[in-house]
Amino acid sequence: MSDISTEPVPLPEIMIFPKRLLNADTTEKLLNRIHGLKHVRQINLHGESLPVVVNYGPGKGHKVDHPQRRVIEVKGEKMELRVQVGRIFVEVDDIDYVQEVSEEIERICEETLPFDFYLEVGRYSKFKPSLTDYLRGLR
Amino acid sequence: MAYKRQFYPGKSLPAKNRRRFMDPTVEMKKLREVAMEDVVKILGHRTPGSEYMSTHPPLEEGTEPDCPIRQMVTPLEGAKAGDRIRYVQFTDSVYFAPIAPYVRAWMYLSRWRGIDTGTLSGRQIIEMRERDLEKLAKNLIENETFDPAKTGIRGATVHGHACRLDENGLMFDAWQRYEWNAAKGEVEYTKDQVGIPLDVRVSVGKPASDDDLRARTTIFRADGVDMNDDEEVTNVNLRIHKLRTLSGFQPWKVKE
Repeated sequence: MSDISTEPVPLPEIMIFPKRLLNADTTEKLLNRIHGLKHVRQINLHGESLPVVVNYGPGKGHKVDHPQRRVIEVKGEKMELRVQVGRIFVEVDDIDYVQEVSEEIERICEETLPFDFYLEVGRYSKFKPSLTDYLRGLR
Repeated sequence: MAYKRQFYPGKSLPAKNRRRFMDPTVEMKKLREVAMEDVVKILGHRTPGSEYMSTHPPLEEGTEPDCPIRQMVTPLEGAKAGDRIRYVQFTDSVYFAPIAPYVRAWMYLSRWRGIDTGTLSGRQIIEMRERDLEKLAKNLIENETFDPAKTGIRGATVHGHACRLDENGLMFDAWQRYEWNAAKGEVEYTKDQVGIPLDVRVSVGKPASDDDLRARTTIFRADGVDMNDDEEVTNVNLRIHKLRTLSGFQPWKVKE
């Protein structure tokens, strides 16, 4: 879905930081709105991991069945949401368009999120493949 | 001079609430009713109605060695019967839960005996004889130190106390031991404290409002009552810090 090709310079990211952890439904709505925006190159989700099974203790092996871990559909593409989303990073393809995109994102968030949020601009993740990525064959 | 027991310094609201919880002469408010059978299910140590397993013969059989401490201390019911030691663990959200782990430790040791408790960053464990633990756990779930949304009963994977709340205002739980019932407006436990599914949904009632929690909280927060704004609390903390530090390496400099 997103373009994961590398760039020689770090591209700016807009971080959406909602006041609450997002439900899968809200995440799905938000992604569908943001993904179509012009100059949005990549979207990364961060959040609290939701395991499939209880991984230790006396309940080891039992299914968790967390309602927020489910398959979501973004612009026709299905993907499994494995975290309860806490932060969304939207990479913009050119620094000149950061203001324009962040204004759009702010409007979308105001319409989609039923609680407060804030936006921040920066670079929050690595922008070129690391040696580990190369070894793992990821890039 | 008779010593009058003191509990916690300060005039701020969290300080007063801390004193209330720690003072054993103050009776805590009961906010909800949860059946003992349901509490036993959430703890998950035995099937409700089954016999308690024991680790030693009952004390009345007289097999214990002669010991002055044993003669001085009146045993709890569980100790008399030789029950196993079992545990319950509570997690308290930083978002104005009614109580915080360290305050729990002070409260437990001030109010009850026969317990072993341990404080971790976001959780507080109690180890105790099984039948006494069940009574105490029921008390702690029903009284004002518990809030269905901001307190969790979690034996393992307690992560969530410092996470943002979810959209329903519940503290995050990766194992989803409790769920929000929107129709009833209540929180229901669907799993025991270690994530094993329960055969019934156990309701622990409606969460308190934010205003109510802010009035009841024992947590100092910069966006609530800042600990630095309570002069007496700050001074006591600074004194403890100074005495601990100095006593550790230059105890002759301690003049008070």
